[in-house]
Amino acid sequence: MAVCHKAARPLARCMQTSQPPCFSARSIRQFTTTSRRDGEVATVPETEPIVYDPATVTSRKGEKALMKSGVMPIGSRRRRAALKSSGNLPFEQLPYQCFQEALKIFRTDREEKLKQIQTERLRISNLEAQDASNVKGGEVQKQRRLVSMRSHLEYLKIQADINDPLIKKRFEDGEGDMNKPIYRYMAEKQWRKYQQLLIAQRIDQFNIVPDVLPHFEPTADVRLAFKQRSVQHGEYVDSRVSEVPLRLKVQVFDKGERLVSIVVIDSDVPVSEEDNFTSRCHFLATNIPLSPTITSIPISQLPKESIALPWMPPFAQKGSPYHRYSVFVLQQQPGETLDAAQLKEAVQRDGFRLRSFKDKYKLDPIGMSIFRSTWDEGTAGVMQRAGIEGADIEFKRKRVEALKPKQKARGWEARHSSAKYRQLWR
Amino acid sequence: MAVKMPSHTSITRLLSPLVNSFRTVSLNPSASLAKPSTIRSFSTSSTHLAPPNKNAKQADPRISLIRYHMQHPKTPRPLKLSRMRALRHWTIHRAWMLARRKRKEAEENELQRMYQSMHSACEELRLMDPPGSKDAGRLYRIAMEKKGIFGHGGVPIEYARAQTDTPAKEPWNHEWTR
Repeated sequence: MAVCHKAARPLARCMQTSQPPCFSARSIRQFTTTSRRDGEVATVPETEPIVYDPATVTSRKGEKALMKSGVMPIGSRRRRAALKSSGNLPFEQLPYQCFQEALKIFRTDREEKLKQIQTERLRISNLEAQDASNVKGGEVQKQRRLVSMRSHLEYLKIQADINDPLIKKRFEDGEGDMNKPIYRYMAEKQWRKYQQLLIAQRIDQFNIVPDVLPHFEPTADVRLAFKQRSVQHGEYVDSRVSEVPLRLKVQVFDKGERLVSIVVIDSDVPVSEEDNFTSRCHFLATNIPLSPTITSIPISQLPKESIALPWMPPFAQKGSPYHRYSVFVLQQQPGETLDAAQLKEAVQRDGFRLRSFKDKYKLDPIGMSIFRSTWDEGTAGVMQRAGIEGADIEFKRKRVEALKPKQKARGWEARHSSAKYRQLWR
Repeated sequence: MAVKMPSHTSITRLLSPLVNSFRTVSLNPSASLAKPSTIRSFSTSSTHLAPPNKNAKQADPRISLIRYHMQHPKTPRPLKLSRMRALRHWTIHRAWMLARRKRKEAEENELQRMYQSMHSACEELRLMDPPGSKDAGRLYRIAMEKKGIFGHGGVPIEYARAQTDTPAKEPWNHEWTR
């Protein structure tokens, strides 16, 4: 019994001293005698319409309100809840231990690479300042060493940035500044993974290489479009679509601005007299500026001085097999400009040979794309509008008679179908 | 078949009933779950007594084994990382590869340094006396001797274990004592 009392005493004290909050509130509150009606008119509390942030809205009501106002909430609901509760840290400060250690490793490596870049730059400048007679191997060896040192410097520049997740993200989002070597490097790597293989396959499939040029290795990414319709490499393009001049998007991966020429060649113009095909130039333009950041070349908006041969719409006469139209981007020698008016006189549309053209004007093909064209319902109209004759010509294959005699009919029925076997007829 | 079944492991799954059934080859698609329709005659005897249908398409046992293991409740599901998570994963992976490479390069450089220092020491020995003198290269030749480097009458420890194409699961017992 005594034990119970001992146990109960602190409990009793606890119950006596503590007051339930509801009682205490009632005892504290003042009792007003006047009624509210006698006082001021109670104003409806003005609640401002709550402005929801599209990045952090989590409630269904908030989402509906945002969507009604025309703004879409950004990301998934989980993402928005995470952003709301996390304090909006920038990516590289996220408190994941392994990630932070990885960033630490990356940062120390970057410091080392920057030091190496500095020493390499110093070495290059020292070697350049050296007289060729002091260098072992003379001028030739000096230049070779400089070339390899410069390529090593480029390698170090890439290695300093390649492990950075923010740079990777920026590149993947398409916000990379193409003037920086790391973004150019990543763009080239992405191009070589698929698109370069694709264009190389098309060049091989359509025999561009022996027909138009003896050797060609693309080093720039060339994409075509007619108005808003993009063209895959080798795609059939309707003649009405290709009536307007095309738009080019060329991405080069080495730094610096350069001038390019653009040529559009039809490789399959039929020549019925020779039973063969010849080529024709549909478009020629020169002195077009191009750089890693200037990628868009709309032909219809080029200045008149650049265009040597204006756009002739592609047409394939009836009966001829599909025509291959190759669009070549040729880089001019640094500092050299070509005279478009002189080219207009010198270059013939029919029988155009890209080999001799590029050798004569010292051009270097860096990229190409290709599309095809056949006879369709609109070709006649296109030719008539462009003032090209020959829409009423239909090409037909010459029938070649075989030298060997026609094969006799096989089978019992065939052999016994003549009048001699009348009695055997069914 | 009396098979001891420990807790669910991959070994258990290898001894699954599905694998056991492959030994008996025949896989009859049992119609045990088919509801008896009003049109068809109703049979009260067990379906296992019915003869196996020879025209039934034989399911490829390899495919059904793969599907069994893919659909097993204990198989972990494939990971789908969000963009930020994937970027962190990539960063950590690259940092790990970088750290490994640095460590390997440091070890190789150290070995190279040791080898080169030994080499230059031997060169020093060799060129200590002028050529043509009585003791030219004597110390160098003594240094190149390999007598007794494995103890008295000993062989290199590498002779103790022959290299094989298919080594044992425990190729070397490091805890062995006499």
